[in-house]
Amino acid sequence: MNGPRWLPTMLLISIFQVITFYQVIFVQDGTLNTAVGIVFVIFTAIEWLWAVLSTIILSKSSLALECIAFFLTGISLVITASCGTGLLIKQFVAFIIGFICYIGLLYVVQNTERAEKFRKPMAVASIVLLLITLVLAKNINGAYNWLVIGGLSIQTSELVKVAFIFVGAATLEKLQSSRSLTQYVIFAVICIGLLFLMRDLGTALIFFFTFVVLAFMRSGDVRTILFLILGAAMLAGLIVLMRSDYIMKRFATYRHVWDFADGKGYQQTRVLTYSVSGGWLGLGIGNGHLRDVFAATEDLVFGVLCEEWGILIAFLVAWAFIFIFIHSIRCAKGARSAFYSISSCAAGGLLLFQAALNIFGVTDFLPLTGVTLPFISRGGSSTISCWALLAFIKAADNRTWAGGKR
Amino acid sequence: MNRIFKRSYIMYVFAFAFLAGLMILFFTMEVNAGKWVVKDYNKHLYSNGELLAAGAITDRMGTVLAETVDGERKFNEDQKVREATLHVVGDTAGFIATGVHSSMKSDLTGYNLLQGVYNLKKEGTGHDIQLSIDSRLCVAAMEALGKYQGTIGVYNYKTGEIYCAVSLPTYDVYNKPKDIATDKTDKYEGIYMNRYFSGLYTPGSTFKIVTACCALENMTDINNRYFTCNGAWTNKVGNKVTCNGVHGTLNFDQALQHSCNTAFAGLAAELGNEKMQATAEECGFNRTFYVDKIKCATSYYDVTKAYDIDRAWSGIGQYTTLINPCHATMMVGAIANRSGYTPQATLIKGANTSNESFMGSVQAKRLDKMLRSNVEKYYGDHRFPNLLMCGKTGTAEVSGDKPHTWFLGYSQRPDLPLAIVVVCENSGGYGIDLAIPIANKVMQKAYELYVLAYANLGEEN
Repeated sequence: MNGPRWLPTMLLISIFQVITFYQVIFVQDGTLNTAVGIVFVIFTAIEWLWAVLSTIILSKSSLALECIAFFLTGISLVITASCGTGLLIKQFVAFIIGFICYIGLLYVVQNTERAEKFRKPMAVASIVLLLITLVLAKNINGAYNWLVIGGLSIQTSELVKVAFIFVGAATLEKLQSSRSLTQYVIFAVICIGLLFLMRDLGTALIFFFTFVVLAFMRSGDVRTILFLILGAAMLAGLIVLMRSDYIMKRFATYRHVWDFADGKGYQQTRVLTYSVSGGWLGLGIGNGHLRDVFAATEDLVFGVLCEEWGILIAFLVAWAFIFIFIHSIRCAKGARSAFYSISSCAAGGLLLFQAALNIFGVTDFLPLTGVTLPFISRGGSSTISCWALLAFIKAADNRTWAGGKR
Repeated sequence: MNRIFKRSYIMYVFAFAFLAGLMILFFTMEVNAGKWVVKDYNKHLYSNGELLAAGAITDRMGTVLAETVDGERKFNEDQKVREATLHVVGDTAGFIATGVHSSMKSDLTGYNLLQGVYNLKKEGTGHDIQLSIDSRLCVAAMEALGKYQGTIGVYNYKTGEIYCAVSLPTYDVYNKPKDIATDKTDKYEGIYMNRYFSGLYTPGSTFKIVTACCALENMTDINNRYFTCNGAWTNKVGNKVTCNGVHGTLNFDQALQHSCNTAFAGLAAELGNEKMQATAEECGFNRTFYVDKIKCATSYYDVTKAYDIDRAWSGIGQYTTLINPCHATMMVGAIANRSGYTPQATLIKGANTSNESFMGSVQAKRLDKMLRSNVEKYYGDHRFPNLLMCGKTGTAEVSGDKPHTWFLGYSQRPDLPLAIVVVCENSGGYGIDLAIPIANKVMQKAYELYVLAYANLGEEN
């Protein structure tokens, strides 16, 4: 009997990861960095354990989605490890929390009636969380979207992303009454509005895009007009906000970064120069100079990928988001109910849109909005939310439940 | 459910948009990589703004002018060579914009997009460049120019190769004067500029070549004309262009030999704005030339709205007229070729460059004879032994300072197809006494290097 279908892919991913792990587990004088080694061993163990367990519990389940996410997470861990062991452990813990959220959310949405119960509490919690953030937030790098509790800083908007799709899909499934639609529109407007107030333009745009996808998936044609009007109103609000100094500054250098290479275009010009310095094949992990630039492994991580891992691997990573998105659409088509279809497309769309904002932002194809590259960028909240979002796509896949026990 | 099924197709639009964006990004990187990688903040190639990894720069004989040794940029060990080639080779910090270190840095680094800067960092060497200049000729030119500020350019009108492009003042890249930025006198004026490529000077009498060209194009009787010089040309309302002497009656050839202002001011006035403008532009004025990747300063001529007196002044190379020395050598190169066109100037040995047109072949042949007769019958061949030299001197008046002294010419020897320009800034001297001896020194050196050396070689065999 042949092994499970995912076996060759998992093996290839593991080989790739072992090669990349190998480059960062040694300290400069050649001795093994035990902590880093342990993290990688645990990570690999989790990957294989999940592959085996999910085959046993959800026997017909496809592992394609996890394979891509594991591949991306592995890259993220290696980049983080090359920046420092402490950072790696943080990042790894975030991955574990994210993975638990993924499994948890998968369990919650397995039953739409159970999911329905979470709808209102999640909506309320989201708004409250964003409000608290707005009131208590410290200004970190020009935005007020960080909530600092104890020593822990959380980007709450990342967590609300998950709730945003959850609430949206759950509400729109019951769209027979226009009341629920109105409720969701109000919820969306509050969320996006609060993000604007936090000056987190990038995330606000992501929410807006997700809102459009959700709305379109549910409403089709007639209602689209309504949503378009609402969308236009929001855009108008956006333009008003763009007149404010802060946002204007962000757009001032757009498509002119070379004229401001040592000013507002600093990050983009460094990303472009160091990206091509790496060439197609890259200079090797840790050999780049972009990592010395502020936020290199967070917002600018695409440039680090190009420089150190090579343009080919960087573009392979970009491809991964297309695959996730297409996978989400395919799952949506065969999904058991509208809730799954909508949430799957929305989650896939959100990840793709965020990747686009990031990749094209740092390369000056779009204005730089300071959003993270899903799965790859260093950052706890972001990693957790990316894994949690995957649950929507996984849940929409009919194969996930086909052979499993309910 | 069916409706949602259909809608999901629309979602593919986003995937395609993303994919298209990625392809454009990849393409943009491919196209611009060479330009982006050589930014001076790129720590792979620069350290404290100094270019580290790059190939060797050699002259046409293979003499190393600059190379990277053990991760450090080294220049020629001879101080005179360093000074004479400074403006062509350039510095590693990018002060000299037209230097090879700046203008050809993407070629020098040998960067390719496949491997990025990987090999460059590993081996510390890039792509070598062999220049067309001869460091021995450059040193000779620098010494000939001596105390004057200015430039000497030597250009091969058969191949387009530049053999010498010396610009003074210069400095030793190993002992850069500390007071360049603070000095209040003009001893360092334009020290970072290669005057041969970036200089713009009032041409003075050397412009009479252009005026003569215009007359040859437009006046059928020009070769039978006689000019009467009473010491000045005067227009109807009594405005004068004074001459450098009282020449009496001259034919066209004699007028150029004596550099008679009366004759050439009169010709320009008679020819009119349109014709003078057209010929000047044909001869390369208001046209921008490129030497490889170096953009030369654009020579300037504009009489479109001039009165006759202004046009008369422009005919003897004054008024608002400005000429770039590199352009000047190419222009006389077109005459030397007797065809009206000449190869685009280049600093790369053996480069094949396209032809630039400056005038018709009829005018070129006639001007070639006139410039030869200048030396033969007026300056004297004894001033240029063995060279079969042709050319024109000039003394260009500049406001508020002593005039510039010019020589612009070329050798007719088939084994020495070189054109030369000499500009001594604010020297106050006359072309025949100052610029001609300097030009001769440089051309004699070239004769020694490229004619005698090979003749001796023949005898040995």
